[in-house]
Amino acid sequence: MSISIASIEMRGLSKALGDRLILDGVDVRLHCGECVALTGDNGCGKTTLLRCMAAQMRPTGGEVCWFGKNVIDAALKRRIGMVSHESRLDPHLTIRENLIFAGRMCSVSRPGLRADHWLDVCGMSARADHRPKQLSRGMCQRISIARSLIHEPEIVVLDEPFSGLDAFGTKWLHNLLRERTAGERTVVFSTHDPLCAESLAGRVLHLADGRLQEAGLAATARYSCPANEAA
Amino acid sequence: MTTGLWWMMSKDLLCEISGKRSWPSMMLLGIVVAVVFALQAQLPQEQRNQMCGVLLWVTILFAGLLGIDRSCSSEQDDGCWEALLAYPVSPAAVYWSKLLVNVLSLTLLEILLIPAFGTFAGVRILNPIAAIVPLTFAANFGIAALGTLLSALTNRLGLSGQLLAVLVLPLMIPVILAAAEGTRLIALGRIDEEWWRWFQFLIGFALIFVTVGSILFEFVVEE
Repeated sequence: MSISIASIEMRGLSKALGDRLILDGVDVRLHCGECVALTGDNGCGKTTLLRCMAAQMRPTGGEVCWFGKNVIDAALKRRIGMVSHESRLDPHLTIRENLIFAGRMCSVSRPGLRADHWLDVCGMSARADHRPKQLSRGMCQRISIARSLIHEPEIVVLDEPFSGLDAFGTKWLHNLLRERTAGERTVVFSTHDPLCAESLAGRVLHLADGRLQEAGLAATARYSCPANEAA
Repeated sequence: MTTGLWWMMSKDLLCEISGKRSWPSMMLLGIVVAVVFALQAQLPQEQRNQMCGVLLWVTILFAGLLGIDRSCSSEQDDGCWEALLAYPVSPAAVYWSKLLVNVLSLTLLEILLIPAFGTFAGVRILNPIAAIVPLTFAANFGIAALGTLLSALTNRLGLSGQLLAVLVLPLMIPVILAAAEGTRLIALGRIDEEWWRWFQFLIGFALIFVTVGSILFEFVVEE
Protein backbone atom coordinates (compact mmCIF):
# COMPACT_ATOMS: atom_id res chain seq x y z
CA MET A 1 0.00 0.00 0.00
CA SER A 2 1.44 3.39 -0.92
CA ILE A 3 2.10 5.84 1.84
CA SER A 4 1.21 9.40 0.95
CA ILE A 5 0.63 12.60 2.89
CA ALA A 6 -0.69 11.98 6.37
CA SER A 7 -4.46 12.34 6.56
CA ILE A 8 -4.26 12.90 10.31
CA GLU A 9 -1.17 13.86 12.24
CA MET A 10 -1.08 14.59 15.95
CA ARG A 11 1.97 16.09 17.60
CA GLY A 12 2.17 16.34 21.35
CA LEU A 13 -1.62 16.35 21.66
CA SER A 14 -2.93 17.06 25.13
CA LYS A 15 -6.45 17.46 26.37
CA ALA A 16 -7.57 18.32 29.86
CA LEU A 17 -11.16 18.31 31.03
CA GLY A 18 -11.38 20.36 34.18
CA ASP A 19 -8.33 19.48 36.23
CA ARG A 20 -8.06 15.98 34.80
CA LEU A 21 -5.48 15.36 32.08
CA ILE A 22 -7.09 12.95 29.63
CA LEU A 23 -4.50 12.95 26.86
CA ASP A 24 -0.86 13.62 27.54
CA GLY A 25 1.42 14.19 24.58
CA VAL A 26 -0.14 11.91 21.96
CA ASP A 27 1.86 11.52 18.77
CA VAL A 28 0.43 9.60 15.83
CA ARG A 29 0.36 9.77 12.07
CA LEU A 30 -2.36 8.13 9.99
CA HIS A 31 -2.21 7.78 6.22
CA CYS A 32 -4.78 7.52 3.48
CA GLY A 33 -6.23 4.06 3.15
CA GLU A 34 -5.12 3.06 6.63
CA CYS A 35 -7.44 1.31 9.04
CA VAL A 36 -6.48 1.80 12.65
CA ALA A 37 -8.08 0.31 15.73
CA LEU A 38 -7.90 2.13 19.03
CA THR A 39 -8.15 0.10 22.21
CA GLY A 40 -7.98 0.97 25.85
CA ASP A 41 -9.71 0.56 29.17
CA ASN A 42 -13.00 2.27 29.93
CA GLY A 43 -12.47 5.93 30.70
CA CYS A 44 -8.94 6.06 29.29
CA GLY A 45 -9.79 8.81 26.80
CA LYS A 46 -10.56 6.96 23.57
CA THR A 47 -13.64 9.05 22.86
CA THR A 48 -11.73 12.25 23.62
CA LEU A 49 -8.92 11.24 21.26
CA LEU A 50 -11.35 10.30 18.50
CA ARG A 51 -13.24 13.56 18.86
CA CYS A 52 -9.97 15.50 18.58
CA MET A 53 -9.19 13.47 15.43
CA ALA A 54 -12.62 14.29 14.03
CA ALA A 55 -12.12 18.04 14.68
CA GLN A 56 -14.97 18.04 17.16
CA MET A 57 -12.91 18.95 20.17
CA ARG A 58 -10.20 21.53 20.52
CA PRO A 59 -7.03 20.18 22.18
CA THR A 60 -5.56 21.87 25.22
CA GLY A 61 -2.04 21.51 23.89
CA GLY A 62 -0.16 20.18 20.90
CA GLU A 63 -1.35 20.18 17.34
CA VAL A 64 -3.65 18.21 15.08
CA CYS A 65 -3.22 18.42 11.31
CA TRP A 66 -5.59 17.06 8.70
CA PHE A 67 -4.12 16.65 5.22
CA GLY A 68 -1.29 18.91 6.30
CA LYS A 69 -3.54 21.72 7.58
CA ASN A 70 -4.21 22.62 11.20
CA VAL A 71 -7.17 24.94 10.65
CA ILE A 72 -10.68 23.59 11.12
CA ASP A 73 -13.07 25.00 8.56
CA ALA A 74 -16.21 23.86 6.78
CA ALA A 75 -14.22 22.41 3.87
CA LEU A 76 -12.18 20.27 6.26
CA LYS A 77 -15.20 19.10 8.23
CA ARG A 78 -16.76 17.95 4.98
CA ARG A 79 -13.89 15.48 4.57
CA ILE A 80 -14.46 13.93 7.98
CA GLY A 81 -17.25 11.72 9.22
CA MET A 82 -17.65 10.73 12.84
CA VAL A 83 -19.83 8.01 14.32
CA SER A 84 -20.43 8.46 18.01
CA HIS A 85 -21.09 5.54 20.34
CA GLU A 86 -24.59 7.00 20.81
CA SER A 87 -26.67 7.34 17.68
CA ARG A 88 -27.72 10.95 18.36
CA LEU A 89 -30.41 10.88 15.74
CA ASP A 90 -33.01 13.60 15.95
CA PRO A 91 -36.02 11.90 17.56
CA HIS A 92 -38.51 14.25 15.92
CA LEU A 93 -37.45 13.34 12.38
CA THR A 94 -37.88 10.04 10.57
CA ILE A 95 -34.68 8.16 9.81
CA ARG A 96 -34.98 9.19 6.17
CA GLU A 97 -35.35 12.83 7.21
CA ASN A 98 -32.34 12.46 9.49
CA LEU A 99 -30.26 11.23 6.53
CA ILE A 100 -31.56 13.91 4.21
CA PHE A 101 -30.77 16.59 6.77
CA ALA A 102 -27.24 15.26 7.13
CA GLY A 103 -26.85 15.20 3.36
CA ARG A 104 -28.05 18.78 3.03
CA MET A 105 -25.78 20.01 5.79
CA CYS A 106 -22.82 18.36 4.03
CA SER A 107 -23.84 19.86 0.67
CA VAL A 108 -24.52 16.48 -0.87
CA SER A 109 -26.19 16.69 -4.27
CA ARG A 110 -29.56 14.95 -4.40
CA PRO A 111 -29.70 14.19 -0.68
CA GLY A 112 -33.01 12.38 -1.06
CA LEU A 113 -31.56 9.86 -3.51
CA ARG A 114 -28.45 9.44 -1.40
CA ALA A 115 -30.56 8.88 1.70
CA ASP A 116 -32.58 6.22 -0.12
CA HIS A 117 -29.33 4.56 -1.25
CA TRP A 118 -28.00 4.42 2.29
CA LEU A 119 -31.27 3.15 3.66
CA ASP A 120 -30.94 0.34 1.14
CA VAL A 121 -27.33 -0.29 2.17
CA CYS A 122 -28.46 -0.47 5.82
CA GLY A 123 -31.35 -2.76 4.91
CA MET A 124 -33.79 -0.25 6.41
CA SER A 125 -35.72 0.96 3.36
CA ALA A 126 -38.94 -0.51 4.71
CA ARG A 127 -38.57 1.57 7.86
CA ALA A 128 -37.71 4.86 6.17
CA ASP A 129 -40.67 6.63 7.77
CA HIS A 130 -39.98 5.33 11.26
CA ARG A 131 -38.67 7.60 13.96
CA PRO A 132 -35.59 6.57 15.96
CA LYS A 133 -37.60 5.66 19.05
CA GLN A 134 -39.45 3.09 16.98
CA LEU A 135 -36.21 1.30 16.17
CA SER A 136 -33.82 -0.85 18.14
CA ARG A 137 -30.44 0.44 19.25
CA GLY A 138 -28.66 -1.58 16.60
CA MET A 139 -30.87 -0.16 13.86
CA CYS A 140 -30.26 3.37 15.11
CA GLN A 141 -26.56 2.64 15.13
CA ARG A 142 -26.66 1.58 11.50
CA ILE A 143 -28.50 4.76 10.52
CA SER A 144 -26.02 6.79 12.54
CA ILE A 145 -23.19 5.16 10.57
CA ALA A 146 -25.01 5.89 7.32
CA ARG A 147 -25.49 9.50 8.37
CA SER A 148 -21.77 9.91 8.95
CA LEU A 149 -20.87 8.39 5.59
CA ILE A 150 -23.54 9.98 3.43
CA HIS A 151 -21.15 12.64 2.20
CA GLU A 152 -18.38 10.08 1.44
CA PRO A 153 -15.78 11.50 3.83
CA GLU A 154 -12.11 10.75 3.37
CA ILE A 155 -11.57 10.27 7.10
CA VAL A 156 -14.01 8.12 9.03
CA VAL A 157 -13.80 8.10 12.82
CA LEU A 158 -15.98 5.59 14.66
CA ASP A 159 -16.40 5.39 18.41
CA GLU A 160 -17.24 1.82 19.36
CA PRO A 161 -19.26 1.28 16.20
CA PHE A 162 -19.82 -2.43 16.82
CA SER A 163 -21.59 -1.92 20.14
CA GLY A 164 -25.29 -2.64 19.84
CA LEU A 165 -24.95 -4.44 16.50
CA ASP A 166 -26.10 -7.99 16.05
CA ALA A 167 -24.13 -10.57 14.04
CA PHE A 168 -25.63 -9.37 10.76
CA GLY A 169 -24.94 -5.76 11.63
CA THR A 170 -21.38 -6.55 12.70
CA LYS A 171 -20.66 -8.33 9.43
CA TRP A 172 -22.30 -5.50 7.51
CA LEU A 173 -20.11 -2.91 9.22
CA HIS A 174 -17.04 -5.05 8.78
CA ASN A 175 -17.60 -5.15 5.01
CA LEU A 176 -18.43 -1.46 4.91
CA LEU A 177 -15.19 -0.49 6.64
CA ARG A 178 -13.16 -2.77 4.38
CA GLU A 179 -14.72 -1.01 1.39
CA ARG A 180 -13.80 2.36 2.85
CA THR A 181 -10.13 1.51 3.28
CA ALA A 182 -10.00 -0.14 -0.14
CA GLY A 183 -11.14 3.21 -1.48
CA GLU A 184 -8.10 4.96 0.05
CA ARG A 185 -10.06 6.35 2.93
CA THR A 186 -8.70 6.52 6.45
CA VAL A 187 -10.67 4.66 9.06
CA VAL A 188 -10.13 4.90 12.79
CA PHE A 189 -12.33 3.02 15.19
CA SER A 190 -12.31 2.19 18.85
CA THR A 191 -13.23 -1.21 20.15
CA HIS A 192 -12.99 -3.42 23.20
CA ASP A 193 -12.80 -6.54 21.06
CA PRO A 194 -9.17 -7.43 20.33
CA LEU A 195 -10.16 -9.99 17.70
CA CYS A 196 -12.16 -7.38 15.81
CA ALA A 197 -9.26 -4.96 16.07
CA GLU A 198 -6.72 -7.46 14.76
CA SER A 199 -8.96 -8.79 11.99
CA LEU A 200 -10.04 -5.46 10.58
CA ALA A 201 -7.27 -3.02 11.33
CA GLY A 202 -3.85 -2.76 9.79
CA ARG A 203 -2.56 -1.20 12.99
CA VAL A 204 -3.74 -1.34 16.58
CA LEU A 205 -3.06 1.51 18.95
CA HIS A 206 -3.52 1.19 22.69
CA LEU A 207 -4.33 4.21 24.82
CA ALA A 208 -3.20 4.09 28.43
CA ASP A 209 -2.34 6.81 30.93
CA GLY A 210 -3.08 9.42 28.27
CA ARG A 211 -0.48 8.06 25.85
CA LEU A 212 -0.64 5.95 22.72
CA GLN A 213 1.31 2.77 22.20
CA GLU A 214 1.33 0.54 19.21
CA ALA A 215 -0.28 -2.62 20.55
CA GLY A 216 0.03 -5.02 17.70
CA LEU A 217 0.90 -5.36 14.05
CA ALA A 218 -1.26 -6.95 11.45
CA ALA A 219 0.26 -8.99 8.65
CA THR A 220 0.05 -6.01 6.33
CA ALA A 221 2.58 -3.20 5.83
CA ARG A 222 3.93 -1.33 8.83
CA TYR A 223 3.22 2.41 8.83
CA SER A 224 5.43 5.10 10.18
CA CYS A 225 4.63 6.26 13.68
CA PRO A 226 6.79 8.73 15.62
CA ALA A 227 6.51 6.59 18.77
CA ASN A 228 7.88 3.60 16.91
CA GLU A 229 10.58 5.57 15.22
CA ALA A 230 11.72 6.86 18.60
CA ALA A 231 11.77 3.30 19.90
CA MET B 1 -23.34 29.49 5.70
CA THR B 2 -26.74 30.44 4.35
CA THR B 3 -27.51 26.97 2.98
CA GLY B 4 -26.77 25.26 6.28
CA LEU B 5 -28.63 28.02 8.11
CA TRP B 6 -31.73 27.48 6.02
CA TRP B 7 -31.70 23.71 6.51
CA MET B 8 -31.17 23.98 10.25
CA MET B 9 -34.08 26.39 10.53
CA SER B 10 -36.24 24.07 8.43
CA LYS B 11 -35.33 21.17 10.69
CA ASP B 12 -36.19 23.10 13.85
CA LEU B 13 -39.49 24.26 12.40
CA LEU B 14 -40.31 20.74 11.23
CA CYS B 15 -39.48 19.34 14.66
CA GLU B 16 -41.60 21.99 16.33
CA ILE B 17 -44.58 21.38 14.06
CA SER B 18 -44.39 17.61 14.30
CA GLY B 19 -43.33 17.40 17.94
CA LYS B 20 -45.13 20.47 19.31
CA ARG B 21 -42.26 20.93 21.68
CA SER B 22 -42.85 24.41 22.99
CA TRP B 23 -45.14 26.58 20.90
CA PRO B 24 -48.46 25.38 22.37
CA SER B 25 -47.31 25.86 25.98
CA MET B 26 -45.77 29.20 25.10
CA MET B 27 -48.97 30.46 23.48
CA LEU B 28 -51.12 29.16 26.30
CA LEU B 29 -48.99 30.73 29.01
CA GLY B 30 -48.88 34.01 27.15
CA ILE B 31 -52.60 34.20 26.54
CA VAL B 32 -53.54 33.19 30.10
CA VAL B 33 -51.17 35.66 31.74
CA ALA B 34 -52.11 38.46 29.37
CA VAL B 35 -55.83 37.93 29.86
CA VAL B 36 -55.48 37.70 33.65
CA PHE B 37 -53.43 40.89 33.72
CA ALA B 38 -55.83 42.67 31.41
CA LEU B 39 -59.01 41.67 33.18
CA GLN B 40 -57.73 42.09 36.73
CA ALA B 41 -56.33 45.59 36.24
CA GLN B 42 -59.49 47.54 37.08
CA LEU B 43 -57.95 50.91 36.42
CA PRO B 44 -58.99 54.13 34.73
CA GLN B 45 -58.14 54.32 31.03
CA GLU B 46 -55.23 56.69 31.58
CA GLN B 47 -53.56 54.35 34.05
CA ARG B 48 -54.21 51.33 31.85
CA ASN B 49 -52.43 53.11 28.98
CA GLN B 50 -49.50 53.85 31.32
CA MET B 51 -49.20 50.24 32.56
CA CYS B 52 -50.05 48.25 29.44
CA GLY B 53 -46.50 48.24 28.10
CA VAL B 54 -44.85 46.66 31.11
CA LEU B 55 -47.65 44.10 31.61
CA LEU B 56 -47.54 43.07 27.97
CA TRP B 57 -43.78 42.75 27.74
CA VAL B 58 -43.36 40.87 31.01
CA THR B 59 -45.90 38.40 29.65
CA ILE B 60 -44.05 38.12 26.35
CA LEU B 61 -40.75 37.63 28.16
CA PHE B 62 -41.94 34.79 30.41
CA ALA B 63 -43.84 33.01 27.65
CA GLY B 64 -41.04 33.59 25.16
CA LEU B 65 -38.39 32.17 27.48
CA LEU B 66 -40.22 28.85 27.41
CA GLY B 67 -39.69 28.60 23.68
CA ILE B 68 -36.17 30.02 23.72
CA ASP B 69 -35.00 27.58 26.37
CA ARG B 70 -36.60 24.65 24.57
CA SER B 71 -34.81 25.51 21.33
CA CYS B 72 -31.49 24.61 22.94
CA SER B 73 -32.55 22.17 25.63
CA SER B 74 -34.18 19.89 23.08
CA GLU B 75 -30.82 19.46 21.35
CA GLN B 76 -29.17 18.77 24.70
CA ASP B 77 -31.85 16.35 25.88
CA ASP B 78 -31.85 14.44 22.61
CA GLY B 79 -28.06 14.34 22.55
CA CYS B 80 -28.01 16.11 19.22
CA TRP B 81 -25.69 19.00 20.02
CA GLU B 82 -22.57 17.06 19.11
CA ALA B 83 -24.15 15.83 15.89
CA LEU B 84 -25.22 19.36 14.98
CA LEU B 85 -21.83 20.89 15.73
CA ALA B 86 -20.07 18.13 13.78
CA TYR B 87 -21.63 19.27 10.51
CA PRO B 88 -19.51 21.48 8.24
CA VAL B 89 -21.16 24.71 9.35
CA SER B 90 -19.79 27.38 11.60
CA PRO B 91 -21.07 27.64 15.18
CA ALA B 92 -22.24 31.14 14.25
CA ALA B 93 -24.56 29.56 11.66
CA VAL B 94 -26.00 27.28 14.36
CA TYR B 95 -26.51 30.34 16.56
CA TRP B 96 -28.25 32.24 13.78
CA SER B 97 -30.55 29.35 12.99
CA LYS B 98 -31.65 29.10 16.64
CA LEU B 99 -31.92 32.89 16.86
CA LEU B 100 -34.14 33.23 13.78
CA VAL B 101 -36.41 30.38 14.87
CA ASN B 102 -36.75 32.05 18.28
CA VAL B 103 -37.56 35.39 16.64
CA LEU B 104 -40.24 33.60 14.64
CA SER B 105 -41.61 31.98 17.82
CA LEU B 106 -41.82 35.33 19.55
CA THR B 107 -43.47 36.88 16.50
CA LEU B 108 -46.13 34.16 16.36
CA LEU B 109 -46.72 34.60 20.08
CA GLU B 110 -47.19 38.33 19.66
CA ILE B 111 -49.52 37.96 16.69
CA LEU B 112 -51.88 36.16 19.09
CA LEU B 113 -51.05 38.02 22.26
CA ILE B 114 -50.99 41.69 21.32
CA PRO B 115 -54.45 41.89 19.78
CA ALA B 116 -55.88 39.80 22.64
CA PHE B 117 -54.20 41.96 25.25
CA GLY B 118 -55.27 45.16 23.54
CA THR B 119 -58.87 43.96 23.36
CA PHE B 120 -59.16 42.70 26.95
CA ALA B 121 -57.25 45.62 28.45
CA GLY B 122 -59.02 48.19 26.28
CA VAL B 123 -55.80 49.86 25.10
CA ARG B 124 -55.04 50.95 21.56
CA ILE B 125 -51.61 49.48 20.92
CA LEU B 126 -52.27 48.36 17.36
CA ASN B 127 -52.85 51.89 16.20
CA PRO B 128 -50.76 52.78 14.31
CA ILE B 129 -49.61 49.30 13.34
CA ALA B 130 -46.56 50.84 11.66
CA ALA B 131 -45.28 51.67 15.16
CA ILE B 132 -45.92 48.44 17.06
CA VAL B 133 -44.61 46.15 14.31
CA PRO B 134 -41.03 47.51 14.08
CA LEU B 135 -40.92 47.95 17.84
CA THR B 136 -41.80 44.32 18.49
CA PHE B 137 -39.50 43.15 15.71
CA ALA B 138 -36.52 44.97 17.24
CA ALA B 139 -37.40 43.78 20.74
CA ASN B 140 -37.78 40.19 19.49
CA PHE B 141 -34.28 40.24 18.06
CA GLY B 142 -32.87 41.59 21.31
CA ILE B 143 -34.70 39.05 23.46
CA ALA B 144 -33.88 36.15 21.13
CA ALA B 145 -30.21 37.13 20.69
CA LEU B 146 -29.51 37.25 24.40
CA GLY B 147 -31.86 34.40 25.27
CA THR B 148 -30.41 32.01 22.68
CA LEU B 149 -26.83 32.62 23.82
CA LEU B 150 -27.66 32.18 27.49
CA SER B 151 -29.88 29.18 26.85
CA ALA B 152 -27.04 27.45 25.00
CA LEU B 153 -24.70 28.28 27.89
CA THR B 154 -26.98 27.00 30.61
CA ASN B 155 -27.87 23.88 28.67
CA ARG B 156 -24.24 23.01 28.12
CA LEU B 157 -23.74 23.40 31.85
CA GLY B 158 -26.69 21.08 32.47
CA LEU B 159 -28.62 23.67 34.44
CA SER B 160 -31.07 24.94 31.87
CA GLY B 161 -34.30 25.95 33.58
CA GLN B 162 -32.81 26.87 36.93
CA LEU B 163 -29.94 29.00 35.77
CA LEU B 164 -31.52 30.52 32.69
CA ALA B 165 -34.08 32.57 34.60
CA VAL B 166 -31.41 33.80 37.02
CA LEU B 167 -29.15 34.91 34.17
CA VAL B 168 -31.68 36.16 31.70
CA LEU B 169 -34.02 38.25 33.79
CA PRO B 170 -31.54 40.88 34.98
CA LEU B 171 -29.92 41.13 31.54
CA MET B 172 -33.27 41.53 29.84
CA ILE B 173 -34.25 44.57 31.88
CA PRO B 174 -33.01 47.09 29.28
CA VAL B 175 -34.87 45.51 26.37
CA ILE B 176 -38.07 44.95 28.33
CA LEU B 177 -37.93 48.46 29.68
CA ALA B 178 -37.42 49.96 26.22
CA ALA B 179 -40.14 47.82 24.64
CA ALA B 180 -42.55 48.60 27.48
CA GLU B 181 -41.89 52.32 27.19
CA GLY B 182 -42.32 52.24 23.44
CA THR B 183 -45.62 50.37 23.81
CA ARG B 184 -46.80 52.76 26.51
CA LEU B 185 -46.16 55.71 24.21
CA ILE B 186 -48.09 54.01 21.39
CA ALA B 187 -51.04 53.48 23.74
CA LEU B 188 -50.88 57.17 24.65
CA GLY B 189 -50.77 58.10 20.98
CA ARG B 190 -47.31 59.65 21.29
CA ILE B 191 -45.13 58.49 18.38
CA ASP B 192 -42.66 61.29 19.00
CA GLU B 193 -38.93 61.77 19.64
CA GLU B 194 -39.11 59.87 22.86
CA TRP B 195 -40.63 56.87 21.08
CA TRP B 196 -37.88 57.01 18.44
CA ARG B 197 -35.20 57.05 21.15
CA TRP B 198 -36.61 53.89 22.71
CA PHE B 199 -36.87 52.28 19.25
CA GLN B 200 -33.26 53.16 18.47
CA PHE B 201 -32.25 51.75 21.83
CA LEU B 202 -33.91 48.45 20.92
CA ILE B 203 -32.14 48.40 17.55
CA GLY B 204 -28.80 49.06 19.26
CA PHE B 205 -29.42 46.36 21.91
CA ALA B 206 -30.33 43.85 19.23
CA LEU B 207 -27.28 44.68 17.10
CA ILE B 208 -24.93 44.42 20.06
CA PHE B 209 -26.22 41.11 21.32
CA VAL B 210 -26.57 39.52 17.91
CA THR B 211 -22.90 40.38 17.31
CA VAL B 212 -21.84 39.18 20.75
CA GLY B 213 -23.82 35.98 20.32
CA SER B 214 -22.36 35.27 16.88
CA ILE B 215 -18.84 35.60 18.27
CA LEU B 216 -19.25 33.91 21.63
CA PHE B 217 -21.50 31.01 20.65
CA GLU B 218 -18.56 28.92 19.47
CA PHE B 219 -16.92 29.15 22.88
CA VAL B 220 -20.16 28.57 24.73
CA VAL B 221 -20.87 25.26 22.99
CA GLU B 222 -17.37 23.81 22.70
CA GLU B 223 -16.07 21.34 25.27
